[in-house]
Amino acid sequence: MDRLTKALLTAVAVMVVLSPLGILLVWNYGDAWGEWDVSTIEHMVGQKLPGMEKLSNAWNHAVLPDYNVPGWEDKLHASAGYILSAIVGVALVLGFYYVVVKLTSGGAKG
Amino acid sequence: MHIPDGYLGPYTCALFYIVMIPIWYKAFRWLKGLKPQQVPLLGVLTAFAFLVMMYNLPVPGGTTAHIVGGTIIAILIDPWAATVSLTIVLLIQALFFGDGGITSYAANVFNMGVVLPFVGYYTYRFLTKRVGLDEVISAGIGAYVGIVTAATVAGTELGIQPYIQPGYCPYTLSVSVPAMAIAHLLTAGPAAAVVTGAVVWYVRKSRPDLFEMRKILRTRG
Repeated sequence: MDRLTKALLTAVAVMVVLSPLGILLVWNYGDAWGEWDVSTIEHMVGQKLPGMEKLSNAWNHAVLPDYNVPGWEDKLHASAGYILSAIVGVALVLGFYYVVVKLTSGGAKG
Repeated sequence: MHIPDGYLGPYTCALFYIVMIPIWYKAFRWLKGLKPQQVPLLGVLTAFAFLVMMYNLPVPGGTTAHIVGGTIIAILIDPWAATVSLTIVLLIQALFFGDGGITSYAANVFNMGVVLPFVGYYTYRFLTKRVGLDEVISAGIGAYVGIVTAATVAGTELGIQPYIQPGYCPYTLSVSVPAMAIAHLLTAGPAAAVVTGAVVWYVRKSRPDLFEMRKILRTRG
């Protein structure tokens, strides 16, 4: 492993540990624009959105929704849930990346 | 910038899946030719892209935005590498963390995995090659232009939805485009510029060959 990859790996580890900053800095802020859940946006515009109501349920099997363990609401628990999500996410991303590389045999031959 | 399920109607979603098919074909063909020494580097950059998106930044007005890391990958390796990375990251985010969506997945990859790194990279290239600007500054400007363009494209997709099929995203272009553009002009754009500039500065110091090699061999440049 070259020096740059090692340095970036260190950066990844530091970013996992510091990840709660990503929620604590915006604790009293709303969602990103255009990422509200259905009931919130229906309330905002004062009308029903039948198409959105149907499609928004296309996938509700996220194990760590919004990068948190369901029910871990206060700052301390949410921070722990966020770090856990960061670790799980990095593991999943790397695992899937190596599967994809293997399947396309990327990097197999120079 | 992750469009959730329900904001884009079925026709819009289908259109982006169709648009993405040849792009994915090209990106994974590119991955096939990735040099073995570069496999760990792209892996760690993919993890970096996942993490950097967890850092939500406050936007004046009460919403949030985050950076993506696509221009960094495009400059250090290749814009197609960024497409591969973001294809993986956005799928994991949608499936396991409910960030983004399944129906909107192709549109999200188009915005953050195609528009962002390609615009970012070619802005950087134009500034270094044609204008003769410093690599670090060019990288920062490239990242800024890339993320603001991607956000504007996402805002456009949301804003045309009411004309295509009502009942989904209710906001039209005059609301969605400024909202998405301003959040990224003010917050995520400057953050992307600083982070990208800093990474390129560090890489030029520690691995100048990444820049030199591209100049000499013109590999996938």
